[in-house]
Amino acid sequence: MRGKLTIGVFAAFVASVLLGTADLSGQASGGRAPVKATGGPRTPDGHPDFQGVYDLATLTPLERPEALGTSLTMTTEQARKLEQQVASRRDVLNRPSDANRGAPPIGGDGSPGAAGNVGGYNNFWIDNGDAYFSIEGQKRTSIIVDPPNGRMPELLASARARNAARLIQTTSDASEDEHDPGLEKGAGAYDDSERRPLGERCLIGFGSTSGPPALPVLYNNLHQIVQTKDTIVIMNEMVHDARVIRMNAQHLPPTVRKWMGDSVGRWEGDTLVVDTTNFTDKTRFRGSSDQLHIVERFSRLDDKTLLYRFTVEDPSTWARPWTGEYTWPKTDQLLYEYACHEANYALEYILRGARQRDRERSTGRPGNR
Amino acid sequence: MRRTRFVLAMGTALVLSFGASMRAHHAFGGEFDANRPVLLKGAITKVEWVNPHAWIHMAVKEVTIAGQKQTPKPGETWAVEGGTPNTLLRRGINRDTVKIGTEIVVDGYQTRDHTLTRANGRNITFLDGRKLFMGSSGTGAPRDGADATEPPK
Repeated sequence: MRGKLTIGVFAAFVASVLLGTADLSGQASGGRAPVKATGGPRTPDGHPDFQGVYDLATLTPLERPEALGTSLTMTTEQARKLEQQVASRRDVLNRPSDANRGAPPIGGDGSPGAAGNVGGYNNFWIDNGDAYFSIEGQKRTSIIVDPPNGRMPELLASARARNAARLIQTTSDASEDEHDPGLEKGAGAYDDSERRPLGERCLIGFGSTSGPPALPVLYNNLHQIVQTKDTIVIMNEMVHDARVIRMNAQHLPPTVRKWMGDSVGRWEGDTLVVDTTNFTDKTRFRGSSDQLHIVERFSRLDDKTLLYRFTVEDPSTWARPWTGEYTWPKTDQLLYEYACHEANYALEYILRGARQRDRERSTGRPGNR
Repeated sequence: MRRTRFVLAMGTALVLSFGASMRAHHAFGGEFDANRPVLLKGAITKVEWVNPHAWIHMAVKEVTIAGQKQTPKPGETWAVEGGTPNTLLRRGINRDTVKIGTEIVVDGYQTRDHTLTRANGRNITFLDGRKLFMGSSGTGAPRDGADATEPPK
């Protein structure tokens, strides 16, 4: 993987030199609301009918690379070249391997992130889209539109201290993290299944796929909206999470805390506004606390596309709210069941692996027995 | 310069995001041992077409662990971890696509618990090196000009 990564960076560099000929004229502020469609199907009670299955996969990242500054958009040509890089990379990964290859290197293959130096698994299991999304014909460089640099505000120092302390005794959101806390620290993160990340435990999907806010992830990006007058349900393929949004209702008492928060909805004209509070202190979206407050706005861009806009607020975590938006294109694909507990061997093997390390530490000898 | 930097920055972000996006359902580094690379050759005996991860079982004929070629015990089987079957289902691949008895080669890393004969399916191929499945790249078809809908090169 290290070799592939190096090749990939080099390829990106070469491509940028050869192809970087478009300009930045596509910059936009992000402050202006896109033009919404007024037509489209409606439910019997007169509200827009958003029911259907949507595929949220997109190449556009949540955060914009710092080097792009406040460039919210790129030209179609720039996007096309980047999309071609992705397609080319996948073509390379689809190529046959050496039939006479040996095992990968001892000590790990250098793969980053949760691939954890052991290389994850083949690219053919991955399904994270093949295009940047566009709004009003302009390709976007990030999902975040505010702050204007397209990046999350810095965590408050108090939030960093709080989150650092959590790693010691945690039901953590470590799958959001590139590191694997506890493995080298002996801090107890592997001492109990209930200290493992929520995704690893199959409680909710990793990467905020269910949300709120709902974000695109590596695979299983299908979300289905089912709508009645009193209740709207968003069914997420990943981990089969269902968000139940009670319309025109009050939030539950603050003593009631929920994994995906308590969501209540209302119509503002043809825009569905969903307000979510009452999170547990375990969800920890990008380092948040149980004071997390999310406002989502669903509206129709055209017959086949919703605009999904969300604002994230947690005064104990960030000094200011931040906002993102991206499109939810309708799809004819089927949303499949994802029974995560069906065969979650990984959790067992991770804990067994930690017990082996305990034995090695106590005996001073490598190996199992 | 500015124009060059744009595609460079996004292109690099793409590559890095792929690395970062390998953050997944679980931490591979906690489950598998970077000091126990394996190369497995053998025939598929069972496919667990399950979530969160598919597992392909194989009766091994050749096993190399951490550089040491080992003689498999009679009836020795290994299982290798893959991703979600849902992705492959969307491409028309189901559990019956994988025929029992198909000879495969797997390179990956063994679980940290070495009593388990399990590994990650870092790379699963047929004997001739072709990938067991193909990932998506746009239409999924070769970009050879035969498909009028294919994106330009």
